[in-house]
Amino acid sequence: MNGIVGHAVRIPAHRIAREEIARAWQTSSLAGHKRAVRFDEDALTLAAAAALDCHSSLGGAEIDRLFFASTTAPYLERSNASLIAALCDLPEKCSTLDLAASLRGGTSGLRLVLTGLNSGSNATILCAGECREAEPGSAEEMLFSDGGAAIAAGTQNVIAELIADATAYDDFFDAVRRDRDVHVTSFASKFSIDRGYVAPIAKVVGDVLGQAGKNAKDIARLAVPSPDRRAHQQLAKKLGFSEAQLQDIQFDDGGITGTAMPLALLSAALGSARPGDLLLVAGYGNGADAMLFRATDSITSYKPHAPVGAQKAVALDYASYTQYRKAREFFRSADQGLEISNIFYTKEEPQIVRLHGSACRHCGTRQFPVAQVCVGCKKGDGLEEVALARTGTIYTFSEDTLYPSPFPPTVMAVVDLDGGGRIYCEVVDVPPSEVKIGMSVELTPRKLKEGGGLYHYYWKCTPRRGK
Amino acid sequence: MSKSLANQVAVIGVGCTKFGENFDQSLQEMMVEAATGACKDAGVSLDDVKAAWLGTFSPGFSGGKATITLADALKFRGRPITRVENFCATGTDAFRNAAFAIAAGQYDIVMVVGAEKLRDRPVRGLQREGIHPYFEAGSTAPGIFALVANRYMHTFGMQRDTLAKVAVKNHANGALNPKAHFQMKITEEQVLKAPMIAYPFGLFDCCPTTDGAAAAILCRADLAKQFRKDFIVVRGIGLAVMSGKPYLDPTGDYLGFPSTEAAAREAYSAAGIAEPVKEVDFAEVHDCFTWTEVSNYEDLGFCKKGEGAKFIEEGRSSLQGDLPVNPSGGLKSFGHPVGATGVRMIYEIVTQLRGEAGARQVKGAKVGLAHNLGGPGAVACVVILGREA
Repeated sequence: MNGIVGHAVRIPAHRIAREEIARAWQTSSLAGHKRAVRFDEDALTLAAAAALDCHSSLGGAEIDRLFFASTTAPYLERSNASLIAALCDLPEKCSTLDLAASLRGGTSGLRLVLTGLNSGSNATILCAGECREAEPGSAEEMLFSDGGAAIAAGTQNVIAELIADATAYDDFFDAVRRDRDVHVTSFASKFSIDRGYVAPIAKVVGDVLGQAGKNAKDIARLAVPSPDRRAHQQLAKKLGFSEAQLQDIQFDDGGITGTAMPLALLSAALGSARPGDLLLVAGYGNGADAMLFRATDSITSYKPHAPVGAQKAVALDYASYTQYRKAREFFRSADQGLEISNIFYTKEEPQIVRLHGSACRHCGTRQFPVAQVCVGCKKGDGLEEVALARTGTIYTFSEDTLYPSPFPPTVMAVVDLDGGGRIYCEVVDVPPSEVKIGMSVELTPRKLKEGGGLYHYYWKCTPRRGK
Repeated sequence: MSKSLANQVAVIGVGCTKFGENFDQSLQEMMVEAATGACKDAGVSLDDVKAAWLGTFSPGFSGGKATITLADALKFRGRPITRVENFCATGTDAFRNAAFAIAAGQYDIVMVVGAEKLRDRPVRGLQREGIHPYFEAGSTAPGIFALVANRYMHTFGMQRDTLAKVAVKNHANGALNPKAHFQMKITEEQVLKAPMIAYPFGLFDCCPTTDGAAAAILCRADLAKQFRKDFIVVRGIGLAVMSGKPYLDPTGDYLGFPSTEAAAREAYSAAGIAEPVKEVDFAEVHDCFTWTEVSNYEDLGFCKKGEGAKFIEEGRSSLQGDLPVNPSGGLKSFGHPVGATGVRMIYEIVTQLRGEAGARQVKGAKVGLAHNLGGPGAVACVVILGREA
């Protein structure tokens, strides 16, 4: 049986009230807040964090494939999926694939994983991340939100099995970004909603229900993204679904998260599903995809590594539009100028990306980075390269206002990793005054610097939530 | 059994520029002022000096490849010059290597110059060089010392007002020193209210970035009498290197600096010192941050680990205390041009031991200790000097 075996979402800790955006542009405001990245986050880090959470939830199951979907992947030439696979420390034989250009990439990827491949016995992680740049002052600037999600598929411990699927492409454009553009060009209109959103989704949803011999009323939950705050409600009504069946898009504390959105909504639907529930997910963008799942008895035993509630409970507000823009522009204005060679990176990758260290056969000391001579017993013949834990405890820290940052102070911590090894990294997503010696933290991949044609990713830590 | 360095090497002359924002002096001009000052003090000509050791951490724009900078500035040519770089302990390590050359019998008279021009850099604070771009990213000099200070404060319950007392003391001493970068007294309230740099360090808990140079002339102890009656002898030197990345070492307790403990052991052993608090009359120690001085008291064995706060609070390290620390004003007030600092400490100790320190004179000083600490506690050097017995 091929189906969903795990799911996760990644919600940025920072957000901005839409009225602050409206105040900056002297336009009318939409309700609520949108989640927005810090300067060290991007589509890749959001997707990678979700993929890591998903991987953790699977309890170390072997992963055969890692797919990454985004319209805002940081690299246009260099596999983002391969970088995420390395961050997840997946084996070399893992198949990686980048899905780009369409907002439908999340659902197209999921359909590909579940139907279009010769499935092996192990699992696939499909992750998506999105940080779309809207034209400053546009309505989209209020609508777009940043986020990540991941769905794992496989044949063992399936929590939702695939019943039916459908797809339809349509060379229709409603949101566009060319290779040379920074901002999305929007063709938002009633026509775009009718022709580019409602029509294709209605078609594939109809196909799926027809294949399965079901009606709208048989569906426990419809997980469908929206181009704005209301269109999904109109769509659901038109398709014969009640408001109770429709998965809430959490617009008041989030927004439109592109490729990640249908996967995040599916994750939420899975999170509240009971055995036997039928879940219908759809994605759109130059066409549409739909998949119908039935929750299995295993659904109740799935425990997400980073529960959504715990993530949403962390809400650090950018006090103004200026702060929000500063968080997005920092690297553009203050390139930190780190240039490295691929020779250096290749040698360093096991420790800086995969977080490998050494464990000593003689005295048991675990240490970071990879060592040739043990820091504990000083013997040079007993070290073996090992993967270190990504959770730990703050041994000590400093709040540094001298280090250049758009939001000083920079909190740097010495972290004792669970099971051994000590690393030094920034503490993020928490007010500095709340950081304490002894605090439980979790490592998360972040963009450290830019320079030399590269983004440099490394680990930072956040307080461990919901544990 | 290795041979002790004790009493084989003499310091016969010292020189030092004014420390501060020496905008009107190039690195070369400061080197020349310090070196010629030391030669004059020793009563030797530059021709008598057969080799030189130059301590400089980051020679910068005007420093180039550092040995030729000294050669060109002084026209000191056809003789060996060795550049020494060992983090902030650069100056004392340059002195150490020069002392070894004398003790080895290779030369009769040599020179040590420490020089640094930090104020012509494009960044605030000390430029970080040679750090790993990933797993050391985010570190600054105050930030990495704050990591240790915070763990120490968490463990021993010390508060910021104790740290402030170190700054107040060192500024009071510096106010008596015409060559100090800052010659002004400050209050505990000023220290506590200053802008935060890296908690627990406010602005006045941090040493400044400073320009300056210092020099010393060393010779064989048995020849020293030819040059002056009141020469100073080297009693012992110790140097120890620990990790440059203590924050990655899972075996460290992070409550002080093991490098200082090891360097002090070597120096005390050479000097035959068993009870430093009784046998050392005063010390110039590496107070790059106020807390570093508190840790130095403990690491140098002036008191037990965890009792450094009491040592400053009871006034024992003040100019009138039983073991005055940093009578010069220390890095805090005299300034910290990295490569120059260690040699400047030698300058201060020699000046004190000769009884020439004026208003900041430590009464009856016979044995003085210089302590340099580099990197994140990565390297420490301890030099013990004494009046010719």
